[in-house]
Amino acid sequence: MAEKGIPLVKIKTSRFGEIEKPESDIFHFPEGLLGFRLVRRFTIVENPKPGPFIWLQAVDVPELAFVVTDPLLFKPDYVVRVQKQELESIKIADIENARVLVIVVVPHNVREMTANLQGPVVFNTKENLGKQLVLQGEEYTTKYRVFQDGDKDTPSENEGGSGKGGE
Amino acid sequence: MLVLSRQLNEAIMIGDDIELVVVDIRGDRVRLGINAPKEIPVHRKEIYLAIQEENIRAAQAADAAALDTLQDLFGSTDKTGKDDRAAGDKDK
Repeated sequence: MAEKGIPLVKIKTSRFGEIEKPESDIFHFPEGLLGFRLVRRFTIVENPKPGPFIWLQAVDVPELAFVVTDPLLFKPDYVVRVQKQELESIKIADIENARVLVIVVVPHNVREMTANLQGPVVFNTKENLGKQLVLQGEEYTTKYRVFQDGDKDTPSENEGGSGKGGE
Repeated sequence: MLVLSRQLNEAIMIGDDIELVVVDIRGDRVRLGINAPKEIPVHRKEIYLAIQEENIRAAQAADAAALDTLQDLFGSTDKTGKDDRAAGDKDK
């Protein structure tokens, strides 16, 4: 009964009910995500209340979904430094050509929200491939505080080299 | 655990296509070179574990009301999408 042309994939989700996506919206993660090695297919789902925060939904595991966003939203100087070999499995020659999102943890108190800047998720939007990178070095953490003001944590821990001149 | 002694520039083969080379030894620091097929992820263990733990945490926690607040908070400064689809076209 479906229209001819683009075949739709039915995806069961615990948060959004059953949704349908064209095959072209399904991303294959050859290595899965860390901790979810066997989950290989994901798709992007808009949040019911739209905005810059979207969901990375597992196609084959209804309850598995992550809130993701563009890290430049709150960290304009964010840079992914990665060796070329790490991008080979998703057929990206240059990180400049990848779409980069980060996974965020959204607790009840939004000011405690954190973003995993050390493990960005990169997409080859042309080939529908994806991968979570593991950035080396101390520059970024897995629990970057998006709201750094008015908190007991020292902001310098998250600032890396950029804010050295601060008071 | 299998334990093997190696000197500088000596290597270990794991299976047919993973090679581990001792590249440098300085005090208590050993530098290892790893040749492995690209589909085999290689990570420093402590970072690997931190990201794994964070993924599991992220998969559990997402406060819907808090997320709505965030959409409003960041919604006006729309920076997402600028490197969206067009970015992929440049790839090769």
